[in-house]
Amino acid sequence: MGDLKARLKPLFRRSSTFSSPKSPKAPKNSVFEAPTDEAPADDRSWSKTSLRLKNKKPSFAIPVYEEEEAPAQLHPLTPIETESLGRGELEQSPDTSLEAPRSPPPPPLEKENPTLIVEAPTPQSRGAEHKKIWVKRPGSSATQVIINEEDLVDDVRDMILKKYANSLGRSFDPPDVTLRIIYRHPSGRHSQTERTLGPEESVSKLLELHYPGGQSVEEALVIDVPQRRTPKHSPHLAMPYFLHDDLRPRENGTDYFPPMPLQGPHSPHLPSNLSVSSAQGVSHHPAAHSIGVLTTGQIPNLPSPGARMARHSQHRPKYGRQHTSSPTVIQGAGNAQNHENLKSSNPQPLPTPPIPEEMTPHKAATPPLPRVSSPGPRPKPPVNKRSKKAVEQSSAVPGSIRDGAVPPINVLIVEDNIINLRLLEAFMKRLKVRWSTAMNGKDAVTKWREGGFHLVLMDIQLPVMNGLDATKEIRRLERVNSIGVFSNSASSTPTFANGDGVGVDRVPEIEDSLMNTALFKSPVIIVALTASSLQSDRHEALAAGCNDFLTKPVNFEWLTRKVMEWGCMQALIDFDGWRKWKDFSQTKPAEKAAGTNNSGKSPKAAMNGKVQAGGGKKEKERMTLSLAKENKASSEDTGTGTDTNGDSGSGNEVGRA
Amino acid sequence: MAESENGSIGLPDLGDSIDALTFEQILEMDDDEEEREFSKSIVYGFFEQADKTFKEMDSALEKNDLATLSALGHFLKGSSATLGLTKVKDSCEKIQHFGARKDENGNPTHYDDRKFLSLIRDTVKVVKADYKEVERVLKQFYRDPDAH
Repeated sequence: MGDLKARLKPLFRRSSTFSSPKSPKAPKNSVFEAPTDEAPADDRSWSKTSLRLKNKKPSFAIPVYEEEEAPAQLHPLTPIETESLGRGELEQSPDTSLEAPRSPPPPPLEKENPTLIVEAPTPQSRGAEHKKIWVKRPGSSATQVIINEEDLVDDVRDMILKKYANSLGRSFDPPDVTLRIIYRHPSGRHSQTERTLGPEESVSKLLELHYPGGQSVEEALVIDVPQRRTPKHSPHLAMPYFLHDDLRPRENGTDYFPPMPLQGPHSPHLPSNLSVSSAQGVSHHPAAHSIGVLTTGQIPNLPSPGARMARHSQHRPKYGRQHTSSPTVIQGAGNAQNHENLKSSNPQPLPTPPIPEEMTPHKAATPPLPRVSSPGPRPKPPVNKRSKKAVEQSSAVPGSIRDGAVPPINVLIVEDNIINLRLLEAFMKRLKVRWSTAMNGKDAVTKWREGGFHLVLMDIQLPVMNGLDATKEIRRLERVNSIGVFSNSASSTPTFANGDGVGVDRVPEIEDSLMNTALFKSPVIIVALTASSLQSDRHEALAAGCNDFLTKPVNFEWLTRKVMEWGCMQALIDFDGWRKWKDFSQTKPAEKAAGTNNSGKSPKAAMNGKVQAGGGKKEKERMTLSLAKENKASSEDTGTGTDTNGDSGSGNEVGRA
Repeated sequence: MAESENGSIGLPDLGDSIDALTFEQILEMDDDEEEREFSKSIVYGFFEQADKTFKEMDSALEKNDLATLSALGHFLKGSSATLGLTKVKDSCEKIQHFGARKDENGNPTHYDDRKFLSLIRDTVKVVKADYKEVERVLKQFYRDPDAH
């Protein structure tokens, strides 16, 4: 059945560009019919609002919101434009096109499949002639699932997801699952041939054909699922799937679990989907969204927990998303507002300009997706578990969010416990990002002053200087040095506990001035590592100037997400800065080029150039940092100092040469 | 447990003093499932750290040094949490609280210091026993000849 979804989706996308309730049964209707169909995959379709009432399987249950709220899941931060989604326009979003298969006009193929009819009884209820077949996951022991005589492979997939409710059911839809049959060989030939089963094949016939006399345990059909690892729940908030009695997004979305990602496992987005390659459609959202950040400049708009908490109450009304024609606009907004967003260091989307209608469906789905794939409770990639080599390989698979797209950032790990430090280092190694370490707060500040860090993972309780004080110190230094593109934006600067933060444009004392401001593109992102899950500790961390926090023991998946999110943002900023710098330097003779020329010609001249350039650089810093201040530059520097940077130096050199 | 059913990882039952999910996360960092070089180095590093910390706790107890005890408790709490050694972590947290003149849940209380010290003394005994247990399980897991 899920397979059908895949097939239908393209149809729906096409039709959705026209006026909405085109099919006899609009998706909305299907919402109310949904409960009659208890196939597990359908249980998990998130927008079946009424489904939860009938859902007997808590393990499949995800928070489902009241109908008018459902659209909000598309994007947590665009309250206004989404209300209409709950109506007929639901199908306009590819996300919701999951609904598609429920509506009756099926292509011929589906007609032969009994479970495609919405009212179809559950396989179990279908009666007496069921039998059992063996299935197994690679490397695991086999298990039996019940099938009916006329069941197709597609139905078996449903059953399998029920059987593997925990390991597969939470993170995969039936179309994700592929079944392989291993041929029985009379002669013990060496190469075992096997075949992937198509969803439309009849299981009973297959088994009779290939395993005359009955299927033995060893001949269990092999279950394959796409290799994909999704972040799991942070340990301290592991239960959002079961919050049935309180379905408001706010509650469900506390901290780490904003409403949106919860739909993750059920979204059609399955980038590394191997199995459905035959079924066109599922791959309709290519993995582009992870890259989308880079191409569109739009950071996935899900706020990270820290930021979210602060903003939440004011900006996200509990109810009343209303009056919008366009369900999406998110990405469009991103394009238009992207710069402002970045500038204000506030990833929250601003009111959005309308975008062309036909773009809508696509755009709707994309922005949330990168993070959507997350909190499946510990999905187990089946193959990986058996061999760590396989893990390595699979993690090298391009397209996987974790490996493909981790931005090129530099992380400072601040942790006093060597055990934790080593594990974090190993994580960083795995993520293939650069990192440095510091064992106490003072160290951290010193290291940070060297520049070039994008992200700080800051343990809070540290010897010598604790993490909060180190954070405050870093923020103070950032402020007095006017670090960052948005140094004057009030929204980006946390409140300082010490009195120093008052004068924004203050000239830094010499001991506070940073050596190489070019290496400080923007305020560093500080993610606090808190051992306690106490809210008060988090507030304290945020108040000190941390951007975000992770609860210890740090979970690799969450850490990955944080590195992704913040890293992407930082990488963007850095890129921006780089481009500005480039433009700037192009308008003037390139200092470096001149320097190289010189070094080629005369060592002495090169030396001079270096010295002068160095002096110029220092001078520039002082200039920028202490504009109005007394120029304390030493006399030999002043000549170059009055000109900008090393230009005068290179000018001299050129003249001399 | 659901984990074993789907053959997620070939872990023996590590008992309830070790949080399987957290510990598995470290095992997943191993390049080689036989050697388990990385996780082993982490775990054995923790053994050393724990031994050292216990000694420091003992000497801090002799000196009635609550602040140090609290810091030591916090310190060991961090690494034991990272390894998923739940019981050890919980005891360490208590020591941290007692040392900070709080009750075991971290609420400020008004015992006198002797009471705190005796609470810590008891908890240190508990944490050592908990530690012995996980050490044994873990050494078995790593097929350490010392495992008893």
